[in-house]
Amino acid sequence: MSTLPAHVLDEIRELPAKYPQQRSAVMPALDLAQEELGYLTPEAMSEVAVALQLDPGYVEGVATFYTLFHLEPIGKHRFYLCTNLSCTLRGANEIVKHVRGAIGVHEAGEVSKDGLFSYEEVECLGACEYAPVARLDRRYQVDLTNQKVDALIAERRNPVVQPPHPAAPLAQPTSPRSGEVKPPKKRTKKSG
Amino acid sequence: MAEQRGTVGGPVLTEWFATRDLHKLDVYESLGGYTALRKVLKEMTAAQVIDEVKISGLRGRGGADFPTATKWSFVPKDHPGPKYIVVNADESEPGSAKDRYLMENSPHMLIEGAAIASFAISGHQAWIYIRGEYDLPYEMLRDAIAEAHAKGYLGEHSFGTDYPMDVRLYRGHGAYICGEETALLESLEGKRAQPRSRPPFPAVKGAWGMPTAVNNVETLSTVPWIMRHGGAEYAKRGTERAKGTRMVTVSGDVQKPGNYEIEIGVTYRHVIEELAGGALPGRKIKVFWPGGSSAKVLPGSMLDTSTDLDYLKSIGTMGGSGGIIVMDDSHCVVKAAARLLRFYAFESCGKCTPCRVGGNWAVRTYERILAGEGSQIELGILERVSDGLQNGRCLCGLGDAAGWVIESTMRHFHNEYEEHSLHNVCSVEAALAHA
Repeated sequence: MSTLPAHVLDEIRELPAKYPQQRSAVMPALDLAQEELGYLTPEAMSEVAVALQLDPGYVEGVATFYTLFHLEPIGKHRFYLCTNLSCTLRGANEIVKHVRGAIGVHEAGEVSKDGLFSYEEVECLGACEYAPVARLDRRYQVDLTNQKVDALIAERRNPVVQPPHPAAPLAQPTSPRSGEVKPPKKRTKKSG
Repeated sequence: MAEQRGTVGGPVLTEWFATRDLHKLDVYESLGGYTALRKVLKEMTAAQVIDEVKISGLRGRGGADFPTATKWSFVPKDHPGPKYIVVNADESEPGSAKDRYLMENSPHMLIEGAAIASFAISGHQAWIYIRGEYDLPYEMLRDAIAEAHAKGYLGEHSFGTDYPMDVRLYRGHGAYICGEETALLESLEGKRAQPRSRPPFPAVKGAWGMPTAVNNVETLSTVPWIMRHGGAEYAKRGTERAKGTRMVTVSGDVQKPGNYEIEIGVTYRHVIEELAGGALPGRKIKVFWPGGSSAKVLPGSMLDTSTDLDYLKSIGTMGGSGGIIVMDDSHCVVKAAARLLRFYAFESCGKCTPCRVGGNWAVRTYERILAGEGSQIELGILERVSDGLQNGRCLCGLGDAAGWVIESTMRHFHNEYEEHSLHNVCSVEAALAHA
């Protein structure tokens, strides 16, 4: 009995044909496994290795190198909170503290009691003009404030309010930040 | 001071960005999109394309500033097997967001540019390596590529010719080092992303062992415009030697953070004060990173510095990836440097000892200083570690960049380092407490 369902393993076995060399399929394959299970178990990595005819140690070596592969359970909704310089200058550390309190965890990686949330501090997300920024459910959440964080959490706690596809703030990107005037934020507490 | 310009001679990259739904093929095409690729495939030779780009003076916008046409000309013409264009869309330099901005606004512009570049090296496949966190740009590129296939612009008979052309996507999974081209190639091949030793250079042995040119998103996005208007028209913009326009991302302590297209040669004062609205009310700009966190910092007194890429090199810093991080007098330079060193130490791939060890040494030293346990010894360690990280001791530039942060912040703000290390005082915090 394998950890990964047969249809996922079938999909994984079809991946190598898409690339000039089959080894390139390892990350897309780990993606499929992670999507299925939420995170990568040792068994899942072994099964990926067998499906791609690679050494299990090799597959684990790839999985441990990249930050978007998770080797431990994560919340259903994971906040990837940027705390690099541009976001820190705009109060990212306050946001981290607020998220921690709002989802009721003590540290990064810890899953909230209801299993819905976890957070992680990450390096630059490449949306510095919108600092502070987080990635959540495959979309960027921008110009974060404590209120915005609360709203994002509430939407996900209450499925009635939750849209079928999380709102995409950048989905109509023809409005460059360039023209916008952003009011300077009140900064009551300095973070850096 | 290098030549300065105060006005932009007409946008290149963002020319059509005010148009709604530019990411859709019919809209992009209605403005003139894909005319360049059609013309290239039907009327030009690979050598002519390279010549036109050479005339434009276009240089790589990922940070290395290498002449694009020259890079393409390094790919051997007589190689029998496949040749690849690999698009570096792994933008992860702190402070840089312009590639994301370009892809979100005009995915077809990148696809067209990548296809023209493939033609220039007589290749048939371009691979866009996009960072895993960029979900929306990935989806937009995926849909745009599908549209281009459906129209017959990509495929076995691109634009009805006998020239097969394809653009494919590969998602990264979170590693700053993948911005380095050989690490990116390792990752594309399904390996841990650790830089390769060179030679062989990618032009000879790149992706999957084949001749490859790795180009940045912005660089390739510029190419369709050059092919439409001619290299000479592009070269009218910019300075004597650094031609054209470029994207900058302004972030941090400014009123209007954003992505702006500038003519190369305008001053940082123009970018930061005119375009980005200047400092926040009541604040003074203390320091700025002129081209991503890896560029050596300049103090606020040097706002009149030109964005001329050669001039920046001549004063020991760089225009880099165009990420301008601005910090005002309410923030402490030592804490900012400590945060950046944490980044470089975390992102070190671990292959070269100076970078792997030096970064962590620096982090621990900064931690002692900020915990009030600093002394003259800590300042000496930082200087030595900074030196050890630099000067080409590693396979790639990550370690050097970490060293530059330490060196340049210590040079310009030695007083803040001394206050912290020797007296356990943060003058910035003290000033704010009295404000």
